[in-house]
Amino acid sequence: MNWTAIALKNILRRPIRSILTVAGVGVAIAMLFNLLEFQRGYEKGLRSELSDLGAHIMIVPRGCPYEAATIVLHGGKWPRYMDEEWYQIVRGTEGIEASTAIIMDAIIRDGGRENLIYMGIDENYPSLRQSWRYASGDWFSGTQAAILGSSVARSMGVTAGGSITIEEKGRIPATEVTVAGVLERTNSQDDGLVFLPQHTMQQIFGLQGKLVMILVKLADVTQTEQVTAALRSASAEADAGMNIFPLSELLGTLTSLLSSTRVFVLAIVAVAFIIGGVGVLTTILMAVYERTREIGMMKAMGAAKSDIFRLIWLETLFTTIGGGVAGILLALLSGRGVVALLKTILPHTPADFALGMSGSTLAICMGVSVVLGVVAGTWPAWRAASISPITAIRGGSS
Amino acid sequence: MARGVHLTDHRNKGWFIVTRNGQLVHATGLSRTYTVGRREIPALRGVDFSINRGEFVVLLGPSGAGKTTTLNLVGGLDRPTGGSLSVAGEVVADGSVHAKESRLNALRREHLGFVFAEFHLLPTLSALENVQVPLIWADESGRDRAEALLCRVGLGHRLTHRPDELSGGEMQRVALARALINQPALLLADEPTANLDTNTRDEIFGLLRELSDEGLAILFATHDHELAERGDTVLRLSDGVIVHD
Repeated sequence: MNWTAIALKNILRRPIRSILTVAGVGVAIAMLFNLLEFQRGYEKGLRSELSDLGAHIMIVPRGCPYEAATIVLHGGKWPRYMDEEWYQIVRGTEGIEASTAIIMDAIIRDGGRENLIYMGIDENYPSLRQSWRYASGDWFSGTQAAILGSSVARSMGVTAGGSITIEEKGRIPATEVTVAGVLERTNSQDDGLVFLPQHTMQQIFGLQGKLVMILVKLADVTQTEQVTAALRSASAEADAGMNIFPLSELLGTLTSLLSSTRVFVLAIVAVAFIIGGVGVLTTILMAVYERTREIGMMKAMGAAKSDIFRLIWLETLFTTIGGGVAGILLALLSGRGVVALLKTILPHTPADFALGMSGSTLAICMGVSVVLGVVAGTWPAWRAASISPITAIRGGSS
Repeated sequence: MARGVHLTDHRNKGWFIVTRNGQLVHATGLSRTYTVGRREIPALRGVDFSINRGEFVVLLGPSGAGKTTTLNLVGGLDRPTGGSLSVAGEVVADGSVHAKESRLNALRREHLGFVFAEFHLLPTLSALENVQVPLIWADESGRDRAEALLCRVGLGHRLTHRPDELSGGEMQRVALARALINQPALLLADEPTANLDTNTRDEIFGLLRELSDEGLAILFATHDHELAERGDTVLRLSDGVIVHD
């Protein structure tokens, strides 16, 4: 016999009550685990997505640059454009290794259920997309050609050499284009896009001379600040009205936006912990009252106050640690569901966003479980340690 | 060393209990008065007694005579309001000076065993585990000793049974084995046969008698005159005082 064995047996004395208490703590821990992993996974996914763009500076039309960036990253329709001629201003700026101009639009069908995104690109685009590999076919063979992302090609059942028709009633007349190439899976937004030659897309969609975005790759990343300043100055001089911002700044802004929402979620998690902690405290306190005679007898047999305190504290710790383990398991089991739910709620989630299991999150969750046990167990343990053996053995409660 | 103080080899552990004149318990003018509101209720009024090693002392008296109060004071569970008391060489009280709680815990842990009318066994533990409970805070394992004690009290075949699988007599035997696990010098028994039938009562008492004959001092509280006659010494308590025949 030892303290651990006796504490565990005491917890199992009322199994349903103990399970409910552990479950209360488990839900709070699962929420904390998912929140921490969400933050980590989101940041990692966003970083990877921005890195996949292969650019250092993004230029979009006037308007909220973060809304533009989100749409560009996710793909979509953004009714703001800049003049194609401004691309020349960008290309003429010093310090730029490569740049590409992009036009983007979407055709929505079936009342919004089907949303196919088209991206008009130039010959510079592949130089920024190092991850591009063709599953079949190659670059545009002519002007009436398309390159399909892997998911789009699969859903359309088309391979290189086949053809697709672009059409939206009342806006875009039916136009057939040949599939020049199909990309291998990239695990990025490219998988869900239809790429067209830039000028072809401008013609089909009636967006002649317009661009949605310019991506810039620098010769020297340490010159980001200087090149950004030069581009902004050139934009102001030409009254081009372009929004120019480094992608590192975009990452910082998006993650800080996320951090501010995390405060609200943390507040909810804190409430869950308070509820879980009060549940633990109540359960252990109830157990102490029920076992007053036993505790009195232990003191009569020579147990010191510190021995009783230790026993009750151990019981509380085992309960909250059990809750911690249950919470982590619950979080791991529900991870996919949570990601699916977040993807429907959040305006932008990175393509390879997933909830993982990092050592630091595990350590934080288990640490919080222990702290919760220490805090919730102190008062019941002190009550138990203060029980008078005579009164207890007689059957009293104090 | 003070005159009349004896060193007693205890439990063959190489250490000694210091007793006064060889006595395990020595009480002089021992009193306990409870205060309820503004009323003072004397439960014990200046009793003198002593218990020698291996002596079977019976505290006989009706309910409210002061038997349990005496046991609680000797066991260090309560503090006297007057008189002096030493137990197993520890000065529990001398006038208004009382031993510290840690000393009393050690006294109970190392030298005293308790059995009560109710058994106070832990329901989730087996008989064997219940007997081992006092060893937890003594930092010992003592499984063999616990088994041997349960065999000694006739429960060698009930080691793994939980209290709800035992009869009243068996539960009291487990409680007795638990009280003996730390090899006490003195067993304090507060009407341990009160809830048992006559046969079981006699068996338990016979067991206590055997233990006393082997050197265990026992302070046995009862209101049963028939049992009292089987002790070595009978202290008749009435209204908190010892009545001499």
